[in-house]
Order: sequence, then structure tokens, then C-alpha cells
Amino acid sequence: MRPFVYNRASDPTTALNMLSGKPNAKFLAGGTNLLDLMKEDVERPAELVDISGLALTTIKTITSGPNQGGVSIGGLGKNTDAANHPLIRQQYPLLTQAILAGASGQIRNMATNGGNLLQRTRCPYFYEVSMPCNKREPGTGCGALEGINRLHAIFGWSEKCVAVYPSDMAVALAALDAIVKVRNVGGQERAIAFADFHRLPGDTPHQDTNLAPGELITAIELPPSKLADKAYYLKVRDRASYAFALLSVAVGLEMAGNRITQVRIAMGGVAHKPWRALTAEKMLVGKEATEANVRLAAEAEMAAAKPLEHNKFKVELGKRSIVLALQTALNGVG
Amino acid sequence: MQDKNKLTGTPISRIDGIAKVTGKAAYSTDYPVKDLAYAVLFKSTIAAGTILNIDTSVAEKAPGVLAVITHKNAPKLNVNGGLRGGSLLQSPEVEFFGQHIGIVVAETFEQARHASHLISVDYDKKEPKVDFETLAPNAVLPKEKDKADASRGDAKAALSSAAYKVEETYSTPIEHHHPLEPHATIAEWNGDRVTLYNSSQIVNGAQTSAANTLNIKPEQVRIVTPYIGGGFGSKGGQWANLVLTAIAAKQVNRPVKLALTRQQMVNSVGLRQQNLQKVSLAATQDGKLTALAHEITTHAAIKSEFVEPCGDCSKIMYDVPNSLITYRVVPMNVILPTYTRGPGKSTGSFALESAMDELAHKLKMDPIELRIKNEPARDPSNGKPWSSRKAVECLQVGAKAFGWEKRKAEPGQNLQGNYLIGYGVAAGTYPAHQRPTSAVVKLKRTGNEVTATIELAAADLGTGTYTILTQTAADALDLPLTNVTVVIGDSDLPPAAGAVGSVGAASYANAVNDACQKITDELITRSGKQFFARPTASQMMLSEKITEYKTRVDAKPLESAEAYSAHSFNANFAEVAVNRFTGMVRVNRFLAVTGAGTILNPKTARSQIIGGNVWGIGMALTEESILDPRLGNFVTRSFADYHVPSNLDIGDMDAIFIREDDQKANKMGIKGIGEVGIVGVAAAVANAIFNATGKRVRELPITPDKLI
Ligand SMILES: Cc1cc2nc3c(=O)[nH]c(=O)nc-3n(C[C@H](O)[C@H](O)[C@H](O)COP(=O)(O)OP(=O)(O)OC[C@H]3O[C@@H](n4cnc5c(N)ncnc54)[C@H](O)[C@@H]3O)c2cc1C
Repeated sequence: MRPFVYNRASDPTTALNMLSGKPNAKFLAGGTNLLDLMKEDVERPAELVDISGLALTTIKTITSGPNQGGVSIGGLGKNTDAANHPLIRQQYPLLTQAILAGASGQIRNMATNGGNLLQRTRCPYFYEVSMPCNKREPGTGCGALEGINRLHAIFGWSEKCVAVYPSDMAVALAALDAIVKVRNVGGQERAIAFADFHRLPGDTPHQDTNLAPGELITAIELPPSKLADKAYYLKVRDRASYAFALLSVAVGLEMAGNRITQVRIAMGGVAHKPWRALTAEKMLVGKEATEANVRLAAEAEMAAAKPLEHNKFKVELGKRSIVLALQTALNGVG
Repeated sequence: MQDKNKLTGTPISRIDGIAKVTGKAAYSTDYPVKDLAYAVLFKSTIAAGTILNIDTSVAEKAPGVLAVITHKNAPKLNVNGGLRGGSLLQSPEVEFFGQHIGIVVAETFEQARHASHLISVDYDKKEPKVDFETLAPNAVLPKEKDKADASRGDAKAALSSAAYKVEETYSTPIEHHHPLEPHATIAEWNGDRVTLYNSSQIVNGAQTSAANTLNIKPEQVRIVTPYIGGGFGSKGGQWANLVLTAIAAKQVNRPVKLALTRQQMVNSVGLRQQNLQKVSLAATQDGKLTALAHEITTHAAIKSEFVEPCGDCSKIMYDVPNSLITYRVVPMNVILPTYTRGPGKSTGSFALESAMDELAHKLKMDPIELRIKNEPARDPSNGKPWSSRKAVECLQVGAKAFGWEKRKAEPGQNLQGNYLIGYGVAAGTYPAHQRPTSAVVKLKRTGNEVTATIELAAADLGTGTYTILTQTAADALDLPLTNVTVVIGDSDLPPAAGAVGSVGAASYANAVNDACQKITDELITRSGKQFFARPTASQMMLSEKITEYKTRVDAKPLESAEAYSAHSFNANFAEVAVNRFTGMVRVNRFLAVTGAGTILNPKTARSQIIGGNVWGIGMALTEESILDPRLGNFVTRSFADYHVPSNLDIGDMDAIFIREDDQKANKMGIKGIGEVGIVGVAAAVANAIFNATGKRVRELPITPDKLI
């Protein structure tokens, strides 16, 4: 680990001021990702501003504005608390399931909601500093493109980067159309639609998100949702717990009898950001929830996949997982 | 042997348990050595070539740095001193990715690690040999040529005329030992004598290999290793990091601590090599085997070789008139493979026992029946009688306990909800040996109380050595457990076998028992009295009012044991549930039935077997170290990538021991349980997956992608 300056902020304004104008300084929240990366010499901040003590931890019903009736989750709240809060368990069980499918109890107790969104890829070429990686060191190439890429992207990748974004929580947030609230050093707040928060790699894979330098995630807002009754997070992985997803599917449905009136499908482990299965969603709205319709939609969604040498299985797995996740959301765990 | 009045054979809890859970047990890095400096190793970032230049100037000036040692300034060491492998910084040559090319020593660990990132290296790169699949067709004979081929009868001829046969190739990946405690050393020089606090499965071996490598006498090296946080073979023979710590301490003239990181473990302390195994079985219609050929291709390091004996189970498991076992090797730019729990047997049994299952399926015969039908009366490889062999009982007892009759013979027929349920069985074996071991018993009387101290340079990997030796000595001396203290893990103690190859319990317990019998004999003789019933040592200490007495034995294996073939045997039963959509597998139930001679402590023994089973399940389902075939680096560098099974992957586990009195193997009839627990496990799981799904996966690990 390189030497760094450590400061602790007690309120958001101080935190933003401490980071201001220092391109090589970073916020430190739970530290479960950032510190690991520093030990491996992947992240090399000269200064850390510890924001783990900020009071941005409340979970509450939104009482005004466009998302009135929804729920706001503090950016510095712990993943465990978000997963287990009654408002979340009752109104957004999809989010509870997704958070609890990630990491381990100990890590979730440390990890914050803002930090979770900004966790970096688990691509092994990103982690091993002697390997080429455009995300870590722009211009060095992509080690995974022609290397070991079983865990990598099948959608939206570029020649520059085939990494996937690893968060489970974010897949549910994508399905729920969440909004990320951020604040800058001038005190201005902005709301970023979840679909616009993470980026595809394109030519700038070193930039994971559209958060501007120095911005602080203060909260995540969940618009009111009618998907609570029929929601399921399916995580397919190499072992049953404590492993990142090979592929995951977050689904939520609203039904009128056997007809689908609203459906959200987001996938994890397939792209550089949570992947909304918009093609499948479009095909399913207004349709009967039959196995045949679901399968057709899943196939149409996965038809656009561009697998790499070692991850061809994700195409078939994606189809099956969309079907299983929808089936489970409708009928319960089989 | 398992007498009601004895402490051996009872399931007492580990006597070192409290010390461990309260943090009192000192592992290698825990010694409160004063004035410590910290060392960090840095590594090559190419897999083959030569170092042209190492620029350490920036690192040397970094805060806290005391020394930077590379091949340019390292002291001359004996590269043939008996270490297993790793780089001793004696040349600029690079033979694998991650090879140690230098050490930074600093005031703190963080300073040393930081400085290690400030070193730049120029290489003359060569094309590395790391793509096993491409290289395998050009494999060569092993260096020990007599080990290449073992043939009995004419397997090829029998195969060509067989009524039924299976000819398939099975593949197992590179695995790592990854003990929870990474390898770690503190080196402290005192004049020309060095103390090395270092996790060591073979205490005396660590001492001599360190001394030889350092060009000093064994008496000048002391190894201290009272507790080991797992080893599984990687802490058997020692690796370069042990001696590098010693030279770093010498160089900075201070004690030095060097602990490997998890990421460094993949390139520092050996691995289980990748194997391609072709197994050919021929049989008559009624299931009598007529030929068994097991042809193995594996890899070694570029200059040194270790060949996992994957054909060992095939040599002795079944009665077959025609047998062929061959080994071919590919030298590769990876660290030297080494002994890894159940070397050869765990991987070899996956191939053999999968093939047996395939044959049973072809013959439409129950796989248990097929195995029993081919049970050998004697060791088929050398004609010796078995010291004992309970392979059939293991299968029969297990079948009953597991509910084998509930298995559906036709695969893919048992769908429950979204899960396909399947049952699998596989047998296993591991050799039983005793090795020379010395032990000292010291008796002390204080008033009416006699206490004993037992000393030997044994090692406890975390398996229960302290506990079983305390039980053994307490029985032999007729003392309560609390009056016996076992002191091990120090090369100043009488020399002992290593805790390797499942020889620990047999070697140590027999030596301790011998020493306790001897001290009793000596006390009786010394008293000059005649006794109708043999008194115990503690009675003699009291009646003769002796305050202190000690003796030593140098125990050796029974010569008569040579006439027998001594092995443990087991049968493994697995029930799996395979998600028919996602291919995720859960092992609902697992049962291992083992005949392993005297079980000194059913509780620690059960833990050993279950631990082996869990690794076997990991081998079947999750564990794999993946090399980039272009660059030679491992892409699986931490427990986030190298998956050992989690609690959720496995449901109920149980271990049953078959009673076995085997005084032919050794006096106490101990056959060892450290490794047999992993043998046959992966095959049992793979066979259960076939039974569940109808898919035969011959390439481990069986991850979800292979089942969809
Ligand atoms: C072994 C292991 C297994 C894991 N498995 C999973 C898994 O299966 N699924 C999963 O989803 N995750 C998994 N995780 C990742 C875990 O969820 C993340 O590490 C965690 O959510 C990060 O949160 P943190 O608060 O610790 O972030 P930190 O490490 O403190 O910070 C991460 C990044 O976010 C920035 N940051 C933090 N908070 C803010 C803020 N409020 N505003 C602006 N910037 C901020 C920091 O500057 C830093 O760049 C795993 C982690 C580990 C170590």
C-alpha cells in the first residue's frame, strides 16, 4: 500500500470540501473494496477522506416530489440495514433479495449503499497490476479480450474492455428504476436516473460511472412500486454463497389475472453495467404469462448477445435464468 | 484395541481447542520477537526469460527500507539443499510467473510492501510453456524412467477383444492447498545459530533443508512450529521463503518476519498439477474386469519434476488380470507441483471410479455390485496379503446407512420441483505406513501426584495430534489426561516423522506408546521387585518415591509389516440436487464409510474425514486454479476467485468408521485418516450428477456451465 493522507469528515459539506480540487483523493466509505484495491496497488489515492461517519444513513418514505410515496436510502447506510429495513422488505423485496445474495454477512455489515454502486470490476486482469488493462491503465490493452474471459461480458463490451460490473444490489436497483442523488462541492444536488449512472466501456473503460469528480452519493431513491408481490432475484454462481454472479436476473411483475401489465427484467454479470432486458420487457407487456411467451421473450433478449471465447454458456444460461426468475416470481420458489 | 476403560477410542474434544479459540495458541507470526523488521517478496511478471536489470534505487530510498535483496546481492546458497522449490535469488533466470525475484526489508510491513511496488525490472522475455492442452500431446517420459510404465498381463490385447469396455479421458485442473494460515516465518539469528518460527509439517526436514541451503550445520538451525494453520502438503517440504527470511534477517542484523499474502500463495508453495487421465476398462458381461489401463499425462516444472501418482488406486483397487499404468510429463513454466492432500489418489480415483460407474451403467449393473464383484483377495500389484481390507464392508454398511435402495438406476428420472436428484457412489484407498520416530517421556512426582511430559518433534496441522498423543500417553501411563503434557513442533526435540502421507498418527502414537511402555519396564526393573500384575508407571513413581525419571525410544516400523499390503479403504456416497435450469449443484447428503484401523479419537477422526470430504466436494464442483495460457499468470488469486465450498453447498455430512483391528500394519493398528477422506469423493459427486441428469462430466470442476 502506498502512503496516503487520511482525514475524517463529520458532515457532507466538510467531506466535499476536503476532496475538492484533489484529483488523486478519494472518499472512503466501508472500505471493503477500496482498501483491497489499494493493497493490490490497483488504486493509488494520495489522500482518503473517510465519510463512514456521515449521518447519511436514514431510510425513509419520500413525502414530496416526483417520487413521493417511494423510499429514500441513505448513501452511507450499510447494505445490511438497507436489506433488512421493513420499508424495503415490504415494498422492495427484490432489493432485499439482491443485497442478501451478495458478498457475506460480515462484508455487508461494512459495505455502504453508495460504495456498493461504485465497487469496481472483479476482472482478474484489472486486479493483477502487471497485466494489460485499459480500465486500470488506459492504453495498455485488454487482457481478458483474448485471455480467460469466462466471467466477462456478453452485451455492450468494446475492444477496449470486456469486464462486467459485479454488484448484485445494482441489478435490483436497475429493475426498480432507482435514482441516485448526488451532491457537489458547491452544494448542488442532482438526480441521476439509474440507467444513466453506470457506463458502457466504449473507448473510456476507466470511467465506470457518470458521477463527476468530487461528487458525493447522498441517497438512492426508489420510486413507488407495484412489483413487490411478484419479484425475484436469481443469482447463478459457481457456489451457493459468497461468489460473484456468473449471471443474475432481477425481475418484478404486475399482473391483471394472468396478463402481464408491467414487467421489469435486469441482468447482472453480463455487461459493464446492470443490463435492462428491454426487448424482453416489451415483448411481455400485455401478454399472458405462459411458459411459451416467457421463453420467446428470453430468446429474443439473448439473441443480441455477443459472447467471448469462454463465456458462450452465458447465452443459454441467460435464457434459462430469465425463464426461471419469471416463473419463480409468479409461482414462488420451486 | 478400542477398550472401554481406555481414553483412546473416546471422542474427547481437542485439548488445544481453547488455546486456539482464545488466541493463546501462537502460530508462526505470533511470536513476540523484539525489534522485528518486515520482509515482502516481489515477483517476476513474466513466465519465462532472464532478468536484464533490476532497478531497486527508488525502493532503497523509500521510507523505512532497510535492505533490498535480489540475485545481484544475495548470499551464495546451496540450491540443492533439499527445499522443494521456489527461487533462492541465485540467478537472473525466470522459470514461472510470480517467481520471487527479490526481498524488501523495512521497519513495517506497509513500508516494505510499498517499496516493493517501486522496483522496475527489464526482462529478456521468452515464449513461456504454459498451455497444457496444447503441450500434452508432446509429453515425455518422467525423469525417473522406471516409474513411467507398470504393466501386468496384456491390457491392450484384453481391451481389444473385450465384450464391454469403457475408454474415456478425465481431466482435473490445477488446485492449490490454500491452508487458512498462509506460509509465514520469523527468523532470528543468535550468533551463528538461527531460530525459524515457521509452519512446518516435517519439523526435522525443515531444519535440515534450511541448514543445507544456508550452508550451515543442522544444529545451527532450530525450527519452532507448535501450531500449524493447515498445510495439506504445501508445508511438507519447505519452499524458498523459509530460507529467504533467514538471509534477510542476517542481512539487516535483526529478526525478520515474512508472511506470504494469499495472492502470493499461488506462485510460492507448490500446487496440485493438472492431469489428463485416460482410463480403459474391459469386462465380461457379468461384470468381471479383464483389463484396466490408466494412462496419465501431467505437467511438472521446467527443471524439476513431481509426478502425482494418479495410477495408485488403479494398482490395487480391483482384481484384474491385465493392468497397464503409464505416466507422461510436460515440463511447464509453473512452480513445481507437489504433494497435495491425497496426492494422485484423490485425482486418480476420480478417473477410475468415474469409469467404474460408466461401466456399471453400460452393464446395467448396480455400481456397488460391480465393485464387490471385482474385490481382490490379495494386493494385485505385488501379490501380498492385505494387512486388513474392509472395502466391501464400507460399501455395504454405507449402502444401508445411506438408503442406496432409493436410487433410481435410470439417470434423469428423479425430478423434485426444479431439482434433479441423483445418488452416486465411489470407493477410495490410501496407503498406511509407520515411519521412524523418537520420543522422550519425562515423569515427575509431586507428593502423591505424577505428571508426564511427552516430547517429540512431531507436527500438529490442526488435526488433533496433541489430543491423540495425550490420550495415548495417558492410557499407557495410567494417568488422567490433565496430568499429561505433550510438547511437539520443535526441532530441538527428539526427531520424528512428518505429518505427511497420513503417517503421523501411526508413527507418533506408536512411538509414544513404546516410550511409555519402556519407562514402565525401566521403573519396574529399577525397583528390583517382582510383580504379579504389571504395575503402571505412575504406581511405580509413587511406590518407589521417585521424583523425576525419563527415558527415550527410537521407534521403528514393524519389520513383519513388510510382508503385508497395508491400506485404508473407504466408500463414499453422495446425493445431489441439480437445478434443471441453472445447472447449480447442491450436495444434499454425503456419507463416507472408512476402514482405517484403530480410531484413536472418533471426534477428531470424524473432523478429518469430513474435512477431506469437503475438499473432495470442492474438487468436484468448485476448485480450479486457472492459468492464462498466453502469459502464465494465475487469474484465480484469492478466495474471491478460488472457490472452496460454502456451507450452503453441502447439506448433511456423516462419517462412519468400520471397526478394524490391524496389528499387522503396526503395533497399535493405526492406518491413518489424513488423506483417505478426500479419495473417491469427487467421483461419488460426479457419479451422482450423472445419476441425476444423465450428463457425464469428465472435466472437473463441474461448474454450472457444464450442466446446461
Ligand atoms: C470477498 C468479497 C466478496 C464480495 N461479493 C460481492 C457479491 O457477491 N456481490 C456484490 O454485489 N458485492 C460483493 N462484494 C462487494 C461489496 O459489495 C463492496 O465491496 C461494497 O459494497 C463496497 O462498499 P464500501 O462502502 O465498502 O465501499 P468502499 O470500498 O469504501 O468504496 C468503494 C468506492 O466508492 C467510493 N465511494 C464510497 N462511498 C461513496 C459516496 N457516498 N459517494 C461517492 N463515492 C463513494 C469510494 O471512493 C471508492 O472508490 C464483495 C466484496 C468482497 C471483498
